[in-house]
Amino acid sequence: MAEPLIRMQNIRKSYGRVLALDDATFHVNEREIVGLLGDNGAGKSTLIKVLSGAVPLTSGDIFVRGRKVQFRTTSDAIAAGIETIYQDSALVTQLSIARNLFLGREPIKGPRFLNRLDQEKMNEVARELLREVGISKNIPPTTPIGSLSGGERQAVAIARAMHFDSDLIILDEPTNNLGVAETQGVLSFVRNARDSGHSCIFIAHNIHHVFQVVDRIVVMRRGKVVADDIDPKTTSVAAVEDVITGMSEMAGGALPH
Amino acid sequence: MEHRSFIQRFIGRPEFGPLVLLLVEVAIFWSINPDFLSPLNISNTLAFTVELGLIALAMTLLMTSGEFDLSVGSLFGFSPVLMWTLFNAHIMPLELGFVVALIVAALIGLVNGWFVTKLKIPSFLVTLGMLLVVRGTALFVTDGFPQRTWSAGGSVLAEALVGDFYVGPFRIYASLFWFIAAAIILGYVLTKSRTGNWIQAAGGNPGAARARGVNVDRVKIGLFMLSSVMAALAGIISSVRTSAANPNSGTGYELEVIAMVVIGGTALTGGRGTIIGTVLGILILRIMRNGIVLIGVPGLAYNIFIGAIILGMMALHSWLERRHQAGT
Repeated sequence: MAEPLIRMQNIRKSYGRVLALDDATFHVNEREIVGLLGDNGAGKSTLIKVLSGAVPLTSGDIFVRGRKVQFRTTSDAIAAGIETIYQDSALVTQLSIARNLFLGREPIKGPRFLNRLDQEKMNEVARELLREVGISKNIPPTTPIGSLSGGERQAVAIARAMHFDSDLIILDEPTNNLGVAETQGVLSFVRNARDSGHSCIFIAHNIHHVFQVVDRIVVMRRGKVVADDIDPKTTSVAAVEDVITGMSEMAGGALPH
Repeated sequence: MEHRSFIQRFIGRPEFGPLVLLLVEVAIFWSINPDFLSPLNISNTLAFTVELGLIALAMTLLMTSGEFDLSVGSLFGFSPVLMWTLFNAHIMPLELGFVVALIVAALIGLVNGWFVTKLKIPSFLVTLGMLLVVRGTALFVTDGFPQRTWSAGGSVLAEALVGDFYVGPFRIYASLFWFIAAAIILGYVLTKSRTGNWIQAAGGNPGAARARGVNVDRVKIGLFMLSSVMAALAGIISSVRTSAANPNSGTGYELEVIAMVVIGGTALTGGRGTIIGTVLGILILRIMRNGIVLIGVPGLAYNIFIGAIILGMMALHSWLERRHQAGT
């Protein structure tokens, strides 16, 4: 098999004496949506924080397309094409959709020293992107984020990741606190992202949401990856729940398939 | 329909409240005492208004980025003292003393910004400490006495900063043009430039701005320096115009300046700021001070009105904010 987009090899991370990640090995292929499941404290968020550069790892290696990388800050990870979207924290509510999309990478026009924002271009691209991620309502790109719904905010964050050619979009609990229709919207943005060539890691407490959208399920328990090749099409929700809680091991069975 | 939505948008703007207040204020003072709009009174009011206004403009950007600066009043007193001391002691010519005073002010702003961003101490505490340090230095250096300033007449610097001339019956100081230029430039920076986007993001959600590669610390340090330099410039302009460099001058200006900015509609918590609103806020407070004296209210009652205006405007802004949120 070809080299995966992201490979994390024997990752260990300890906070003092607590071992949060214990030899975790994990990969994401190109154009793949991976669902990352596990109980509270299983190590999902630590794994994601390591991958997004938010916390340093204790030992182990991360490879992007076979090339070894070291993430010291979140900007390093963004530069390597890994974008993490946390619930509600990635956007500035006072700024407009267009200004948020281009935050930190604003296009300018005219002489450089005037540092003038190219508002028309920003609004143009933003309008296009909003249509692409499937916001069907006609929302002008000058609307402040503060007056959007939770699902629309997720969509803007996803659109931003897509526009700036992130290869991997990490979604941490993107469907928390969302209504039914909004959840469906976010799930369809995720599918759109894959169809346009991006990979995703999808973390959610709600197993049913994960089942609706992912290609492959990875389960973590007590800092280890205990299953990394569960096919949601051939496995039942109950069987996956057993892997998460450790019931399948207690029963002496192998991985359900 | 198009026309109506334009009016609605105009009313919905954060500057609308301050504008109405300003017009009401002017109308009331004028109806009670017609001398209020006399050329002499307008000229006198404008002269000091723009000096305080220069500080308020810089403070608007700083407050939009989520910080504020209590040391500006001290710098207003300290910088002219420094310039005149250097000049009177024959250490350097006046123009060079002016440049040195601005550089020292910039360094003080740098220290403020460094404490706030690197040591993560709230700007309230940092700039309160700096307020005392700078005021104390000014008093110590001068033994508390005003500095000699009479030799400024005819110097190029004095002409450029506060040279005066008459436009019809109005006496105009050059500082008015510095104020207008500063308002246009800073308004442009805040709303049209890339830096402005970073300033708003730094105040609105610093974590998100950092995650996008915006150097939030550098933005804030730069704005602290801008605020200090503008306070120094304002102090020097004021000292040349009044031919006085008193180490005690500027006491309490920091709160008046912050009041001007907040009345204009800039959020104290950061993320949203408006230069037009600040210009209106500056005029509201200065005209109030001038007007209540002219209509015969004792000058000592001034603070009652200022306090009432601040409370009233805060109530209005919060009501508009809530209505805005509910409407969408």
